[in-house]
Amino acid sequence: MITKEFIIQLISATVGTFGFGMIFGLKLKYLITVTFGGFLSCGIYLSGMYLLDGNIFFATLLAGAFAALYSEISARIMKAPSTLFFVTTIISLVPGRALYYTCSSAVLRDWAGCKSNANITLQYALAIAAGACIIWAIMLTIENVKKLKK
Amino acid sequence: MTLTKDEQQSLLHLLLDMGELMYCSGSEVKRVENTLSLMGKAYSAVETSVLVITASIVVTMKFEDGNVVTETRRIQKAGSNKLWRLERLNALSRRCCNNPISLDELHVEIKKCKEPINKEMFYIGSAITAGAFAVFFGGAWCDFLVAAVFALLICVMQKTLSHITPNNIIFNIVCSFVVGVLISFSAKLIPILNVDAIISGDIMLLIPGAAFTNAFRDLIVGDTISGVMRLIECVLWAIGLGIGFMLSIWLVGGIAI
Repeated sequence: MITKEFIIQLISATVGTFGFGMIFGLKLKYLITVTFGGFLSCGIYLSGMYLLDGNIFFATLLAGAFAALYSEISARIMKAPSTLFFVTTIISLVPGRALYYTCSSAVLRDWAGCKSNANITLQYALAIAAGACIIWAIMLTIENVKKLKK
Repeated sequence: MTLTKDEQQSLLHLLLDMGELMYCSGSEVKRVENTLSLMGKAYSAVETSVLVITASIVVTMKFEDGNVVTETRRIQKAGSNKLWRLERLNALSRRCCNNPISLDELHVEIKKCKEPINKEMFYIGSAITAGAFAVFFGGAWCDFLVAAVFALLICVMQKTLSHITPNNIIFNIVCSFVVGVLISFSAKLIPILNVDAIISGDIMLLIPGAAFTNAFRDLIVGDTISGVMRLIECVLWAIGLGIGFMLSIWLVGGIAI
């Protein structure tokens, strides 16, 4: 399972997450947290792709859900907005390549390729959203229960 | 803290400044509403009613003396990814809720939150991100370097061009077109470059990830109008990106070099 490609992807995604955190001007403590989160969520995504036989939707959903949970927990511990953590942690799942291939296939009039890449782009986007929404819904429910108890 | 009528009005204005800044820095709608409500409470308002929709904020505050003040703010700018400002504003609101500072100080503190971060950090971060994702998408080390160089060009365009273009869709079209043409030309000059990986890496800087995330977050907490508006915005931005890159590939004569 741990091939050379796996390691290269994992390292590059981690470095990419660090860079993305820098673009957002995050403080060092947040930067370290998101980089570690990016490493873990990319690891989950890559392992998921291997274990689920390349099922993009479920591998991304798992990684997206993990990133959302990680961000919510980090936000509560570090008392900072969770958006800060989630947007950066999730970056390696963003379908940059699929979006590009959708466009390039369209230009080359490869409509089948265009359709399948558009489908993949949507799968990534919806899976991130679905994974995160599940966690947010759970967290919001827990918060409401806590409020009721008070 | 008891406020005079004039102070109540200036507090309201400051809260709107804060809300607008938070929204424009990549905050979701609920966070702006909650923060402004808590701030209102901290500054002795009996009731604070806040409504934030993608293009406007309305705040009404009722004070102990029975005075009611209300103000509407039209938000012209689109949401951006200036998350450092959001972090500062969040810290400021936490501080004020625990221990309210004077209105003059609050004004100064909100101004401080606007201060930009180091330009170097933005440029280096963009170069690292684009380079690393070029490798992630199957590129080699030379692709890392080329993607990083073009990331710097994207940064320059973000700093200069985004102020001139009428909206983010046009900016995305222009930016992705220019970058796409230059990358395709450099690949013609240096055939070992992997155009797909380089463009995919650079796209990562332009994809509206934060806005997309916020759109879904707004939707799930029940701010449907804001969520849908943001989602449509994101899709349009992504289509803009696509159009720009498609035009560039078409112009340079296809990616098969």
